[in-house]
Amino acid sequence: MTTPTREELSRRAFLRKCAEQGSATFVFGGMVLTTAMLRLPQEGVPGEPPPKAGKKHPEVIYGFVVDTTKCIGCGSCVRACKAENNVPDGYNRTWVEQYTFYPNGEVVVNSPKGGEDGFSDDFPDSNQPGEIGQRPDRGFFVPKLCNHCIDTPCIQVCPVGASYRTEEGVVLVDAERCIGCGYCVQSCPFGSRYLHPVTKTADKCTWCYHRITKGLKPACVEYCPAKARIFGNVSDPNSEISHILATNRVQVLKSYLGTNPRTRYIGLDSEVI
Amino acid sequence: MGHAKHFVRLFGVLAVVVITFLAVRAQAVPKDYGTLGRFRASAITDAKKREPRHIGSEACSDCHDKINKSWAAGKHHTPQCENCHGPGMLHVKVMSEDSVDAYPDQIKKNPKALRVTSGIQECEWCHFKTFERPSVLKSISNVKEHITKTGGTYTAKSKCTDCHDPHTTVTKK
Repeated sequence: MTTPTREELSRRAFLRKCAEQGSATFVFGGMVLTTAMLRLPQEGVPGEPPPKAGKKHPEVIYGFVVDTTKCIGCGSCVRACKAENNVPDGYNRTWVEQYTFYPNGEVVVNSPKGGEDGFSDDFPDSNQPGEIGQRPDRGFFVPKLCNHCIDTPCIQVCPVGASYRTEEGVVLVDAERCIGCGYCVQSCPFGSRYLHPVTKTADKCTWCYHRITKGLKPACVEYCPAKARIFGNVSDPNSEISHILATNRVQVLKSYLGTNPRTRYIGLDSEVI
Repeated sequence: MGHAKHFVRLFGVLAVVVITFLAVRAQAVPKDYGTLGRFRASAITDAKKREPRHIGSEACSDCHDKINKSWAAGKHHTPQCENCHGPGMLHVKVMSEDSVDAYPDQIKKNPKALRVTSGIQECEWCHFKTFERPSVLKSISNVKEHITKTGGTYTAKSKCTDCHDPHTTVTKK
């Protein structure tokens, strides 16, 4: 094949070539732009990643807010959760941590039975600074539960597809498929999962999926006397939780891990891990 | 052409392997696996099925209307019925039947199927003084001290509910 020389390329041929290649570039560029525009969020749901190209956010996306400044450490949430979900003794789907700071810089984190029987001032272990006569500087309670992460490692590591996320953003375990390998338990950086001692399958907080799909609140939210736990639909801009997320400074646990938790915290101290 | 036999054998073995794999796969993978993502779609309906065990204070008022009204009108309405009395689903079931024979021993021993309240432990959950607890909440650090200070006599059987009405927080004496 020979390259056309200057003489061979007529004006007509030149113009035709220009039109052909120009329109091809135009069509390709247009396609790229349209795809990019479709990827833009159709409607703003704060904290949510943009929906897939050409799709909208689901009408219901659940979110959870824990207001640590309101928590009184009564353990009502833990008891309600354990009763509602028949959680075996020694295991917790939600638990409350008691943080106590001492003048010597020591931080003591305590969670006896996950807070199921409440908390006391006394530290049973004699090595704890509480026993040696120091008065604490400051302290607070931090309730913990599954963060129902957007980019969660527990679903990724499941070899049999037993860990999954519903459209509403709730991370669940299919006990029928779970083979109890425990990968997800190890992959969760928040310690939210455990292997159920009876069924030998992975188990975790479901945000009380059986309650929320019937229009009820999760048990821990319903029975928190301090209203420290807020649950709702973040996709609805008029819901209580959307208002709280819009008017508060919220934070997530271990943000540096990039798991994008859907459980957000108000008043989280930098010492909380 | 002497090699044809080898190929026939090889493909025969391969075919058996592939067919076995497909057969096992068809058996092992549920039909609705993958319709909504890399999981069994019917697992969602299974997860929805469970019956809530907490029934809510409104449901309690169906039978316990009087106490429910005084509780709702009082200062102590942030903790609900089931916060202290435990989940009520079984209680409703047991109370609406004549016999508890169908239930496990646990419930036969406790025919009301509610938490047996002690009148002191339930109060301590919130009102026992700890350093971390916000001070807006009324709390005491020692029951004995509290009773003697307020002019009562402390015995081993003393309960908070001797003096305080847990439903309304009104002091009885």
